[in-house]
Amino acid sequence: MNPSTIFHLLGFLNLILAGSMVLPLIVNWIYGESHARGYLLSMAVTGATGLLLMLIFKKSSRELSHRDGFAIVALGWVLATFFGALPYLFTGAFTSLVDACFETASGFTTTGSTMMTDIAKNPQAILFWRALTQWLGGMGIILLSLAILPLLGIGGMQLYKAEVPGPTADKLRPRMTQTARILWQVYLLISAAQVVTLLFGGMNLFDSVCHTFTTMATGGFSPKNESIEFYRSPFLEYAITFYMFVAGANFSLHYRVLKGEPLALFRDPEFRFYLAVVLFSTLLIMANLFGAGLYKSLLDCFRLALFQVVSIQTTTGYTSVDFEKWPAFSQYLLLLLMFIGGCAGSTGGAIKCVRILILLKHGARELKQLIHPHAVIPVKLGGKILSSGTLHGVWALSFLYMVVLVLSSLAVSLLGTDILTAVSAVATTLGNTGPGLAEVGPMDNFAHLHPASKWILTFCMLCGRLEIFTLLILFVPEFWRK
Amino acid sequence: MSIIIIGAGEVGYHLARRLSHEKQDVVIIDRDPEKIRRVQSTLDVQALQGSGGSVGVLKEAGISEASMVIAVTNSDEANMISCLVAGVQDRVPKKIARVRDPEYSALFPLFDREHLDIDYVINPDLEVAEMILKLIEVPEATEVVDFADGLIRMVGFPLPPDSSSAGKSLAELSRLYPQSGLIIVAVQKGEKVFIPRGADILSANDLLFLVMDRKRTPQALTSFGTKHRPVKKVMILGGGFIGLHLADTLEDRGIQIKIIEQNESRCLEIAQKCSRALVLRGDATYQDLLLEENVQEMDAFIAVTEDEETNVMISLLAKKMGVRRVMTLVNKVAYSPLVHSIGVDVVISPRHAAVDKIMQFIRRGKILSVSSLPEENAEAFEAVAMETSDIVGRPLREIEFPRDAIVGALVRGSEVIIPNGSTVIEAGDRVMIFALKTAVPQVEKMMTVKLEYW
Repeated sequence: MNPSTIFHLLGFLNLILAGSMVLPLIVNWIYGESHARGYLLSMAVTGATGLLLMLIFKKSSRELSHRDGFAIVALGWVLATFFGALPYLFTGAFTSLVDACFETASGFTTTGSTMMTDIAKNPQAILFWRALTQWLGGMGIILLSLAILPLLGIGGMQLYKAEVPGPTADKLRPRMTQTARILWQVYLLISAAQVVTLLFGGMNLFDSVCHTFTTMATGGFSPKNESIEFYRSPFLEYAITFYMFVAGANFSLHYRVLKGEPLALFRDPEFRFYLAVVLFSTLLIMANLFGAGLYKSLLDCFRLALFQVVSIQTTTGYTSVDFEKWPAFSQYLLLLLMFIGGCAGSTGGAIKCVRILILLKHGARELKQLIHPHAVIPVKLGGKILSSGTLHGVWALSFLYMVVLVLSSLAVSLLGTDILTAVSAVATTLGNTGPGLAEVGPMDNFAHLHPASKWILTFCMLCGRLEIFTLLILFVPEFWRK
Repeated sequence: MSIIIIGAGEVGYHLARRLSHEKQDVVIIDRDPEKIRRVQSTLDVQALQGSGGSVGVLKEAGISEASMVIAVTNSDEANMISCLVAGVQDRVPKKIARVRDPEYSALFPLFDREHLDIDYVINPDLEVAEMILKLIEVPEATEVVDFADGLIRMVGFPLPPDSSSAGKSLAELSRLYPQSGLIIVAVQKGEKVFIPRGADILSANDLLFLVMDRKRTPQALTSFGTKHRPVKKVMILGGGFIGLHLADTLEDRGIQIKIIEQNESRCLEIAQKCSRALVLRGDATYQDLLLEENVQEMDAFIAVTEDEETNVMISLLAKKMGVRRVMTLVNKVAYSPLVHSIGVDVVISPRHAAVDKIMQFIRRGKILSVSSLPEENAEAFEAVAMETSDIVGRPLREIEFPRDAIVGALVRGSEVIIPNGSTVIEAGDRVMIFALKTAVPQVEKMMTVKLEYW
C-alpha cells in the first residue's frame, strides 16, 4: 500500500468535484435563485479538503499497485458520496445527512432512486446538480480525472480496471490517458446529439440537458415528478428509448462505429445478446399487455413495453407509465431485467449482459460435458476461448451479487417493509436501476424508509456501481495489512 | 504514431517500459497470455495477445499508423517475418529485428531495402561479446562505454581502498592534479548515484564514473591507484556463440584462452575454429576440472553458458578459488544488482545490452548514442550542439546547467576536450553529457534536441 499517493489522488478527486459545483452555481444565477451561498460553501469545503489532502500527502514515485488502485477507486467513490451531498445540505434541499447521501450516491452511481417527495418544487439548480452527478458518475469520476490529467501515470490501468464495469477491461489506445479521453469524448459527443434531438422534440433546454445527463449515464433522475410520462410525446419516448439503448451498450464499440466500422456493434456477441433480450422481452410484455386489454392499440402496447424494457434493462429507470398497474407477468419480467443490466463498458449497471451470456454458455458446456465426458469443450465468446480465470471471476461476481442482495433485503425487511418492497428496493439499488415495486414503485420514492435502510441501500448502490469486488475488498482485513 | 513491439519477453518488456516512461505510445504483442497480463498490470501500454505475424493482430495493434516495429521474440524467423509483413504490407517506416543465429549473419546483405527491408538487426549475443571484450581491455572497470566513435570513453570502477584519492574531496583533487584530462561525472555510493561537486569526498569502494580521451584510459585509472595488470590468461565457461566469439577474438590479441564446454561435438567445432585456444570438455560444477586447469592463475573467468544459475554458482566458485576477475552472464534484468552484491565482479546481461542498443538506434535522430547506467538511474548520451542551443557560445560556468547533469567531454573535429568552467562549446561539437534520470528532460531542452524518433 502506498497511503501517501492514495490520499494525494483522493485530494485531486475532491478538487474535480469542487470544480464541477461551479455549474449548479451558474444555473442558480441564471434562474435568479437564492442559494449561491450554499454552493459556494460546498465548493469551499470540498476544494479546501482536496487541497489540504494534496498538500499534506505527497505523491511518491513508487508505482501504484493493484491494491492502491482498489483503495483509490473505492474510497474515491465513498468520498464523492459525502462531499457531493454538501450542496443538498447547504441549500436546504435535504435536512438529514442520510437523505442527502442517498440522493448523491443515487446520482453518482446512476441509480436514480430518489428521496424527494415532490421533485418539481426544488430549485432548478438542485435539479441540475442531481442530473450532473449522474452524468459525471456514468462514465466514471476516476476515468474523468485520468482523462483530465495524466498525473496518475503508470498506475492508470489499475484504476481503470477497478472502475470500468465488465469482466475484462481493454485499452483502446496505448496510453491510459488517451483511452480515458476517447471514452469521455464519445460520451460527450453522443450527449450533445441527444440534447439536439430532445430540443427538436419540443423539450425546453433545461429539461433537455438534465434528461440527456441522466439518459447517457443510464441514471434516471428526471426534473419532473412524472418522469417522461410528463411530456406525453411518443417522439420523445422513442428518442429517449434510443439513447438509453445506446448508453447501455459498450462505449468502446461506439468508438469503433464512429471511427468508421459501422458493423462493430453487430459483430460483438454481447451486443447481439443485449439486443435479443431487449426485443424478446418487449414482445412478451407487449403480448401480455395487449392480451390483458390494458391499451387499445397494439402500437401503444409496443411503445410502452419497449420504453419500460429498455429503461429497466439499461438500468436507467425512467418511466413513461405506472407499470405497477401492469399484469404480474410483465412486472416480474421487468424485475428480472434489473439483474441482467447493460453491456460491459457501458454506463449501465447490474450483472451485465456479457456475464449472463458467459454463465449461460458455461452452463450449457457443463451439460455437454456430462454427455461426452472426454470431450474438450472450452467456453468461447466471439470465437475466443475464455480463460478459467475470467470464468471464475464471472461466477464469483454473480454469486456475491446474490449474497449482497439476499443479506441486504433481509436487513431491509427486518426494518419494517414487506418482502416485495425489500427485495425490489435492494435489486433496484444494487443494479443501479432506480424504481422498484410495491412501496418503492415507479410513482413512489424512498423517503419513507427507515434511516438504517437508506444507509444499506446507499451501500448497495456503491456496491453495484463498483461491481461488488472493488467495494467489498475494503472490508477484507488482509487488504489493509502490510 | 505508435511503436509496436512483438514479443513480451525480457527485452520486449524492458523496451516497452523504457519507451512508455518516455511518453511513447507502445503496443506490445505476445502469444503468451501470462506475459500479456504482466504487461497489462504493470505498464501503461496496450497489450494484445496473438502472433506477431498475424495480419489480424497487427491490424488491431494499429500497424497502419505505426512508426516502428520492433520484433524481439525468441524466434529469429518469426522476427524477420513480422518485419517483412510490417514493411511490405503496411509500409511501416522503421523495422528492427532481433536475430541471434550466427548462421544468419551471412544473410545480412539480404536485409537491405530491396529484399527483407529490415533497418536494424540486433544480435544481443554479439553485443554482449563486444561488451566483454571492452571490459577485458580495461580489467579494473565494471562498466566501459565508448562515445563519439570510440574517441571518448567512460569507465566505471570501484575506488581501491589504498588509493591516495580516498578520503579527499573533489576540490582537493583538482588542486593536486590540475591537468588530469579526466572528469568524474558520477559517483555511486551503495545504491545512490549522484553527480559529485567540489565538496564531495571520495571514499574507498565508491564506484566512480570517469570520462576521458580513450587513449588515456590506463593513465587515468592508475592515477586513482588501480593497478593496471593487463589480462593475459582467460578461462571461458560455455562454448556457445558468445564463448566462441570471445575465444576467437581474444586469442588473436595474444591472450591465452581455456574454454570449457560440455558437449563433445561442440568442443570439436570450437577446436576447429580456434587455433591456439585450449578446448576443455567437461562439467565445471566439479571443482577438480577447475583445479586441474589452474583456475587460480587466471586473470579473468568469464561464465557465458545458457544457464544463468550455473554461471553465477561457478563464477562464485572461481572467485573463491582465487581468480582476479569474474564476469558472469545473467539474463534476468532484475537479478543483475543482486548478483553483483554477492561477489561477482561484473554482471553482463544480453537483454540489457539489447535494450540499450535498440534505444540507441531509436534515438539516433540527433542524439547520437545513449547508454543507460546503474539500474537505469542515469543516462549518458552524446548529442551534436546546435547553433540555437543555450549551451553554445558561452563559457560553461555561465550556463545554468541542471544540477543533476554534467558535460563529460566534447569532440571538436578529431580533438577530445575535457571541459572545465571556462570551456566554450561551439556549434557542431559533439557533446557527451551525463545526466540523472530526473534531469534528462531539462538537458534535452537545453540542447534544443528533442529526443526525436524516426
